[in-house]
Amino acid sequence: MKAPRIAGTRLGRRDPTVPPWLFVVPALVVYAFVVLYPSIAGVVYAFTDWSGIGSFSFVGLDNFHTLLHDDRALASVGNTLLLTVAIVVVQNAIGLLLALGVNTNIRSKALLRVVFFAPAVVSPVMVAFLWKYVYNPENGAGLNGILGAVGLGGLRQDWLGNPSLTLWSVAGMVVWQYAGYSMVIFLAGLQGVPAELHEAARIDGAGAWQRFRYVTWPLLAPALTINLMLSTIGGLKLFDQVYAATDGGPGTSSETLSTVLYKEAFVYGKFGYSTAVALVLALFVAAVSLIQLRYLRAREVTA
Amino acid sequence: MSTGSRSLPGRGTVSRRGLLRVGGGVVAATALPSLLTACGGGGSGGKVRIVGVADEQKPITQLLAAYRKSHPDFKASTSFAPTDDVQTVVRTQLAGGNAPDIHVLYPGSGSAMSMVELAKAGLLADLSDMAWTKTIPKSFDAAYRRDGKTYLYSAGSSIIGAIYNKKVFADAGVKPPTTWSELLDVCATLKAKGIIPIALGAQTPWVTQLITYALVPNAVYAKDPTFDDEMAAGRATFADSGWADAMGKYLDLQKRGFFNDHPDGTTYEQQTSMVATGKAAMAVQVSSVLSVFRAAAKNPDDLSMFPFPGGDDPAQLWIPAGIVVGLGVSARAKNATKARQFIEFLGTQENLNAWTTAVSAIPLQRDSTTKLDPALSEFLPIIDADRAVPFMDQRWPNAEVQPAHFAAVQDLLAGKTDVKGALTQMDKAYGKKS
Repeated sequence: MKAPRIAGTRLGRRDPTVPPWLFVVPALVVYAFVVLYPSIAGVVYAFTDWSGIGSFSFVGLDNFHTLLHDDRALASVGNTLLLTVAIVVVQNAIGLLLALGVNTNIRSKALLRVVFFAPAVVSPVMVAFLWKYVYNPENGAGLNGILGAVGLGGLRQDWLGNPSLTLWSVAGMVVWQYAGYSMVIFLAGLQGVPAELHEAARIDGAGAWQRFRYVTWPLLAPALTINLMLSTIGGLKLFDQVYAATDGGPGTSSETLSTVLYKEAFVYGKFGYSTAVALVLALFVAAVSLIQLRYLRAREVTA
Repeated sequence: MSTGSRSLPGRGTVSRRGLLRVGGGVVAATALPSLLTACGGGGSGGKVRIVGVADEQKPITQLLAAYRKSHPDFKASTSFAPTDDVQTVVRTQLAGGNAPDIHVLYPGSGSAMSMVELAKAGLLADLSDMAWTKTIPKSFDAAYRRDGKTYLYSAGSSIIGAIYNKKVFADAGVKPPTTWSELLDVCATLKAKGIIPIALGAQTPWVTQLITYALVPNAVYAKDPTFDDEMAAGRATFADSGWADAMGKYLDLQKRGFFNDHPDGTTYEQQTSMVATGKAAMAVQVSSVLSVFRAAAKNPDDLSMFPFPGGDDPAQLWIPAGIVVGLGVSARAKNATKARQFIEFLGTQENLNAWTTAVSAIPLQRDSTTKLDPALSEFLPIIDADRAVPFMDQRWPNAEVQPAHFAAVQDLLAGKTDVKGALTQMDKAYGKKS
C-alpha cells in the first residue's frame, strides 16, 4: 500500500508509512467513555455491600475474604479451568484437522468449509437449546438414539443429568460450535505457507508427516497463538452455553465463575460481592492471556 | 485510499473540519445518556410504560385492549421479557432511577424482584386505597402486603397438582388417587403396564421444586400452620421439620422407579411431551402450564389435573396455592395517576376473571361470572376450606434459598446427597442475610 504522503508533509518530518497517533484519538475517546471508564468506575462496587438498588456502604476487603471461603465459587474455579483446558485442546486439535482436510484438493471443499464454520455464527444460547435435545437421556432420542442405531448402545449416557459428565457434555457442545472457527484461522495460516517450501522438502525426500512437522507446523505458529488465546479467553469466561444448557446443575456440578457471578448479582441481588468475583475473573484472564502471549510469541517464526 | 488522499486539495482544512465534526460527535455522545434518561423517565408524552414478564403478556395485552375501549386516550407502551431478563433489566432500571410506571412484581419475598425486597427499598407505590385491595383475604397478607400496606396487584393464585393424561389412566384402569398410599398403588399399576407413572424434568431447575411443594403442605403446614414464623424466628429448621418427610417421600418415588430414568438429564419440554403423548401418565406441575401440556397433546381434552395427595386422609388434604406473578406501580412513576387508574381497572371482578382465565389460575375473588377451567374444580373445596398454603418461597428471607432447593433436589436425585444433607444446604442458605 502506498503511504498517504501529504499527511506526512503537513504534520512534519516523520516516517511517512506510520499514520500519526492523533488518528486514534476519536476512537480512543469513545472507547474510554463507553468501556474503560464504566469498567474502572464499576470496580469500586467490589469493595461495597451494594444490593443493586438503594444505598451501600464500604466493607473493605470483606467480599474477597468471603470469596476465599465460598465453596461454590471455589468449586466453580476448578470447573472453569477443566472446561477451559478441555475446550482449548479439543477445539484446536479438531480445528487443525479440519483445516488440513479442507486445505487439500478434495472436491466440495468450499462447501465443507461453510458447513464446518456454520455453527460458529449461530447464537450460543440457541446452540445450547438445540443440544438439550441432542443430549436427551432417553434411549431412542438424540445422540443416544444415534449411538444405539450404530450399535454403540453401551455408550449411551445421561449427558446433562450425570453430575460427573455434565461439564464434558457442555465442553462437547462448545467444541462443536467453535471448532470451525479455529479451522478458519488455521486455514488462513496454512494458506500463508509458501508452496515452494513444501516442494523443496519433497525434493529432499520428506514424507507427509515430516513436511507437516518441519514446514507447516512452525509456520502455523501465529495462527496457533491466535487460536489458543481466543479459546482460552472464551473458555475462562464461558457463560451463555453453561447458563442455557445446565444453569450450573445438576446441583452445582457445572457452575463456572461466570455463572456464579451472574447469579450473585442478578438472582441473589449481591452486586458488591458479584463485582468482586468479576474483578478476580478479569485479573485472572488478563494474567493467563499475558503469560500465554509471551510464551507463544517467542516460538513464532516467519517463512 | 492512497491515490485519493494525494489528489485531495487543501487536505489540511478538510482534516481539521473532520476533526471538529468528530469532536461534535463526542459531545453528542456525552449528552446522549442524560437525553435517554429524560425520555425513559416517562417524559414521553404521558405514555404509561409497562414492563412485564413473559407469562403476563397474554392477560396484559388483552386487558389493555379492553381498557382502551373505555379510555380511548390512554397511551401505553408495553414490553415483556423472560423471568431472568426481567430481573436484570428492571432491577437495573430501578437502580438507575429510571423505572417503568408499572412493572412486574413477584409476591411476598424471596426473589430479587419480589414485593418485600422492593418495598423495603422504597421503590413501590402504596395501592391500599384501591377498592379491590379490601377483598384480599388475611391469609394472603404476606404475599400482597408489607407493614399493612398493599403493594402488589395479582389476579389470583395458581395451584400445584398432578397434570395427568385421562386416556392413559383409563386405559390402565386406574383413577386419580386421593391418598398417598393410593398414589403408590396407582403408580405401581401404571409401571407394571410399561407406562412411566410420573414424568420429571429436573434438568430444568424450577421443575425440581414442584414435588416438594406439593408434599410440604401436608407434611409441614397441616401440623404447624405457623411454620414460616417459627423459621423466621430461628426456632425451626428445614432439616428438623416435616420437610424431611416430604423430601423422603420425593426420594421414595424415585427409589420405587416411579419417575422416568435420568430425571436430572430430562428437561421440562421433554417432561411435557411425555405426558402429552401418553408415554408417561402424569407430572406434578403448576396449573399455569396446563395449557402448554394441552397444546402438546393430540387431543387437548385428554389432559386434566387432580390434587397430588401428600397425606392419607382425603378430607384433610392440604395443597400449595401460590399468588401468581403480578404488577407493581413504581414509587417514582411519572404517570402515577394513569398507572393507578389502570391497576384499579385490573382489580374489578370481571378483569380478575379475565386475567386468571388467561393463565389457568383461580381468581382472588369468585362470583357467578367466574368461569373456571373444569380441571381446577377439584381444588376449589380445598382452597375454600383454607387448606391451601402459599408457595413456600414467598416467605423465604432471601433469594438464595430457592436456588439452594433446586440444587439440593438435583443432588438428591443424582444420589450425591441424602435428605439431611439436602436440607442442611437449604438451612445454610436460609441463614444468609439478604
